[in-house]
Amino acid sequence: MEPEPLLDSLRNAVAAMPDDVPLRLHLATMLLRAGQRDEAVRHLGAVLQRDPGNAEAIRMLTSPGEAAGPPAPPPADVDASAERVHGSASPAPGSVPAPDATSGVHPDRDGNGDGSAADHAAPGHGAADRGTDGYDWSQAEDELRDVLPTMFVGDAGSVSAGLDEARAYDAEHTGLTLADVAGLDEVKKRLEAAFLAPMRNPELRKLYGKSLRGGLLLYGPPGCGKTFIARAVAGELGARFITVSFADLIDMFVGRSERNIHELFEVARRNSPCVVFLDEVDAIGQKRSQLRNTPMRSAVNQLLLELDDVASDNTGVFLLAATNHPWDVDSALRRPGRFDRTLLVLPPDGPAREGVFRYHLRERPVAGIDLARLSRLTDGYSGADIAHVCETAAERALLDSVRRGEPRLIGQADLEASVGEVRPSLGTWFETARNVALFANEGGAYDDLVAYLRKRRLI
Amino acid sequence: MTEIRQELARAATMLDLGRYEEASTLLARLVSAEPGSGRAWCLFARAHLGADRFAEAVDAANRAAAIEPAEEWPHRLASNALMHLGHHGEALRAAAESRRLAPSYWQTHVCVAQAALAAGQPAIAATAAAEARKLAANEPDVHFLSGKVALARGDLDGARRHQERALALDPAHSGAMNELGRIRLRRHDTAGAIRHFINAARTTPSEHIYSRNIDVVIVRSVSRMIYIFVLVAMTLLWIPAVTHTGALPLGAGLATLVLATLGAVAVMLTRLPPEARQLARRTVLSRRVIAALAIVFGGVAAAFAAVAFVPSGALPQTLPIAIIITIIARVVATARLRSPLGPNSPGNRTSPTQPLPPSRRR
Repeated sequence: MEPEPLLDSLRNAVAAMPDDVPLRLHLATMLLRAGQRDEAVRHLGAVLQRDPGNAEAIRMLTSPGEAAGPPAPPPADVDASAERVHGSASPAPGSVPAPDATSGVHPDRDGNGDGSAADHAAPGHGAADRGTDGYDWSQAEDELRDVLPTMFVGDAGSVSAGLDEARAYDAEHTGLTLADVAGLDEVKKRLEAAFLAPMRNPELRKLYGKSLRGGLLLYGPPGCGKTFIARAVAGELGARFITVSFADLIDMFVGRSERNIHELFEVARRNSPCVVFLDEVDAIGQKRSQLRNTPMRSAVNQLLLELDDVASDNTGVFLLAATNHPWDVDSALRRPGRFDRTLLVLPPDGPAREGVFRYHLRERPVAGIDLARLSRLTDGYSGADIAHVCETAAERALLDSVRRGEPRLIGQADLEASVGEVRPSLGTWFETARNVALFANEGGAYDDLVAYLRKRRLI
Repeated sequence: MTEIRQELARAATMLDLGRYEEASTLLARLVSAEPGSGRAWCLFARAHLGADRFAEAVDAANRAAAIEPAEEWPHRLASNALMHLGHHGEALRAAAESRRLAPSYWQTHVCVAQAALAAGQPAIAATAAAEARKLAANEPDVHFLSGKVALARGDLDGARRHQERALALDPAHSGAMNELGRIRLRRHDTAGAIRHFINAARTTPSEHIYSRNIDVVIVRSVSRMIYIFVLVAMTLLWIPAVTHTGALPLGAGLATLVLATLGAVAVMLTRLPPEARQLARRTVLSRRVIAALAIVFGGVAAAFAAVAFVPSGALPQTLPIAIIITIIARVVATARLRSPLGPNSPGNRTSPTQPLPPSRRR
């Protein structure tokens, strides 16, 4: 019997790295030893979903004795083993349908079977489904059905070549608020003043004659949480959230980009109040002087048209955009009434870094982590860099566990070693930002960036 | 087939937008699905070029050339990548092949001119650039390249005319602005050069070469000041031997010289355009420049001490030693100044104190 804390740790590790097949197999083995067969079968199913030919998983699933006790040495010929079970009265092989049905893997895949319908048939139901060991194969099958999604649903011929509104743009409730954003108090304050307060106080807004025209452009180095903040803003406003990235919109067919952009804004209007978040807006709204190809130019023109429409109709569509390179955004997009307000989202401060560490370690088996020290060590790291640090630390602990043959928790030493390995990735961005601050800060558009660079002695 | 065409068009758009990594991912999938598509391999080569993976770019271009031997594009791509790898002879051959296949296409002549320029054959480059101008008189890039060729041949007026023409055709051509800065520098007009580099950096802040060039100009100015300081110091070193003056006047002379040099640096900073002052101050106060100044001042001070504190009878033996110390101090200080400077593209063999042309036009 395996101790429950160990199993919990392994469960956490699997949750953190769901694609790690050896780890999942290890957990399944431990679960079988602990007599938790149902859960073990679910994990084995997940293993086969990721690695349909995994002999160890097939052996553990197809061998009835496996479920009862410690793992036996693998048989010399997995297919032969499968064949042998097929010939028996036990319904075992047929009760592992999920990998067969979804991935085409079958015990007969090497031609050992005759390929007839009988080979693929599901076993019978009722008492016959219960094996001699008392294992409920029917229930296991049902569970596997949940675990392994069907690969193809509906009629293949019905897949539309055009844009299906519901599929293309999900207007979701994010469930996040600014309270979920760790640290970054300055950003939150400015967000409140520049965007949220007027949105939330319509009476005062009317009193002061404050218009709702225009959107907010978040800019800053990559991987510092602009998208997360945008989602939190949508949550604060109680609005739905539509995120649109470069890949969603760019299409070379003439007219197609424009149509997509128009459709996006139509969906937003129908789902108002709704926050439309244009991620990487520099790609969508790049300076037209830099765009040589006509479809892209017309995409920018269409975007400008839609922005003006939203502004005049004021249909409860709030615009947010994010970019790492605001200096590449077409100036027409930044005129009053469009994205006329900007907010610099800087690398996470101390409390934010602690929050990011906490977030990325929350479902991992950790012990004795000094977040304050880690936060100090990672000054200048982006959120994405910190995520990478956590990933690297998990990898170290995992490899060590494999080497030692027993799982262990991720410790402070793993994280500190990972901090030494992962270098901050923001150097190039700051190099460009320095050029902007020194030479292209026309009209004080980047004064907050200049102030930050001065504070960090980068200029 | 239509789907592949659509995906290729998508990849081309990504490349136009400078999204080289995303385009590479998409194209890797496309060339594996459609290995016989020359266009896919060409776009893949272009994506590698954009991401500075030059060896991979050569491979992809060669695959494209093997699939479509009558196409000129793969050869141009290969030439460009080979140039970055420093294989100038091969780059010129590939460029010549592209021109042979499409002699009426101006880009092939531009490619030959670029490769010839990199291979140190300005005469071939000039002929190719002239041919390109005949074919595409209104292409800013043709004039930009013609200006670079003219500069390489020492024709400063011609170079300026071509770059000004490029700017007239495309006022946001930051490469042409940078070249105008380099031309000014050849004319020893430091402030004018910096003004052009600032314009280029303002137009394309993501191209780091331009701000690096401002750094280079400042470092060169400091280097020149060190040179003048050492020359004057060596002249002063002879004074005790000739006039038999004591240590005090000699020390005062040295102090004046040091102050004059530091004053010259300060004047240089104040004469710079305001945008460049901050950058220049940072460069002057950088560890490298401070170390160079410390070495040269320290060396010269040691040489002065050697001359000032020895009996006049020993001066004939001490003076050469003092001169040697001064020269060594200057050499070491200059070497310190030439230590790596800012971002420098891989494979670039240009001296860190030489202003660079942009690696590619953004």
